[in-house]
Amino acid sequence: MQTASSAAIEFRNVTKRFQMRESSLREFVPAIFNKREATPPFYALQDVSFTVNRGETLGIIGRNGSGKSTALKLIAGVMAPTQGTVLVGGRVSPLIELGAGFHPDLTGRENVHLNGSILGLSGQEIDDQFSAIVEFAELQEFIDMPVKRYSSGMYMRLGFAVAVHSSPNILLVDEVLSVGDAFFQDKCQQRMHDFKQQGMTIVVVSHSAETITSFCDRGMWLDHGRVVADGPAQQVVDDYMATVPQHAEAG
Amino acid sequence: MARAQPIPRQPIATATGPLDLLRHLAEFWRRRDLLWHMTIRHLRGQYKQSVLGYAWAFLNPLAQMLTLSFVFATLLRFPSQGLPYALFVLVGLLPWMFFSSGLSSATDSVSGAMNLVTKVYFPREILPVAAINTKIVDLLFGLVILAGLMVVYNHPPTETVVWVPLLFAIQLIFTAGLSFPLAALNLYFHDVRYLVGVVLTLWFYLTPVIYPIEQVPSKYHFIFDMNPNALLINAYRRVILLDDSPAMDRLLLGLGIAVGTFVVGYFLFKKMEAGFADRI
Repeated sequence: MQTASSAAIEFRNVTKRFQMRESSLREFVPAIFNKREATPPFYALQDVSFTVNRGETLGIIGRNGSGKSTALKLIAGVMAPTQGTVLVGGRVSPLIELGAGFHPDLTGRENVHLNGSILGLSGQEIDDQFSAIVEFAELQEFIDMPVKRYSSGMYMRLGFAVAVHSSPNILLVDEVLSVGDAFFQDKCQQRMHDFKQQGMTIVVVSHSAETITSFCDRGMWLDHGRVVADGPAQQVVDDYMATVPQHAEAG
Repeated sequence: MARAQPIPRQPIATATGPLDLLRHLAEFWRRRDLLWHMTIRHLRGQYKQSVLGYAWAFLNPLAQMLTLSFVFATLLRFPSQGLPYALFVLVGLLPWMFFSSGLSSATDSVSGAMNLVTKVYFPREILPVAAINTKIVDLLFGLVILAGLMVVYNHPPTETVVWVPLLFAIQLIFTAGLSFPLAALNLYFHDVRYLVGVVLTLWFYLTPVIYPIEQVPSKYHFIFDMNPNALLINAYRRVILLDDSPAMDRLLLGLGIAVGTFVVGYFLFKKMEAGFADRI
């Protein structure tokens, strides 16, 4: 067993509760006087504890609403746990939605700078990585064009390129391995495998069994906010698939 | 391997003591590159969908200045401290427009960036501050009109104009401080943006933009002493047009209110920040 210092991510008894709230004063003010909760709270994660070691590739599998995405957002640090502690070591790069920060009117070049700085890169780091990013995205000829004229594939390629060049210690991947054409997909997969070889910590969230078994060493199955199984990816995925009705498996 | 230790990650600020606020400010400063890029992003979006583009930044203050001059100087014969009314009103109007458009835009800034806020962490206060920064460009276009007007009336800025950067810094601090809790609350209650619109309309009349403070009976002066916009606009007029330094007691009062608003506003914003992405 590895020591604590090799942990990249640690969840200690993490609970995440969502409370649907009133979105206007017209609903909020009566709710104060009625002293009732408008909707029952929803527990996305309940008392979840796990540790991801440095260099591990973890695949989280589960049905919609099982808490997968919430776990990823807690690691990314965009949410705080309701109870418990989330510990994360190093720079996290979320491949959660590629190009989320892109502005359609800015050129590819300007968006690389914008997105890079959103991910926490300094101006110097972006300058150093710039040609590598553009080359990886294969957008040399289009880099000074506003991204609103990009095809969706070009858009995704640039987003992926910035994210993977932000030299993260931890990469978070949410169902985005199918970027662009088949050729570019191969390149992305290759890059992900390179990262894995280099010992980067990677967390993949997917409801595709194939994505997880082909890429991850370790699997974790979440259901209704609780960890059902945690172990070798193939075994966890097999257990999960056994519970999925046949017609859903095909899709 | 110090870096290999998992650091307790609390990017979402749940701790907001006095020292934590300084820590947040330091982090904000460290991410100034991002502030710059966010400001550019805002700026590009602002007039992009309009036919006249940046011409609006000229036309808006120009049209307001002309209309207000016609109504209040020509029709109602408002006094204007012995200055041409157009000049008098424009020096008040430009800082007011900066404040009011900055506050409105900042109030919508976080709710307008939810696709980012729910995906990746960065200090959220960058969003309202970038929205306010964008309005500096509008202000610069307005200054071109002011310069033209000064040529027309042969009334060059007086030497005390060197005070303007300090006055503007106070105005920025106040505007940002006030926008923080509004931007946060706007996520929870969409009424906030409408409330801001209504309050700004009333606030305009309670700020000496179209009339000089001298017209106000002294028993009502306390209203204007509590209003940093009034203190600042009076001071702008003195230093730009009247060759007079700002009244020190009023300047310190304005600075005090601005800093106080900023500290309280920033504290509230950081307190609520952890829940921003929970809005689903």
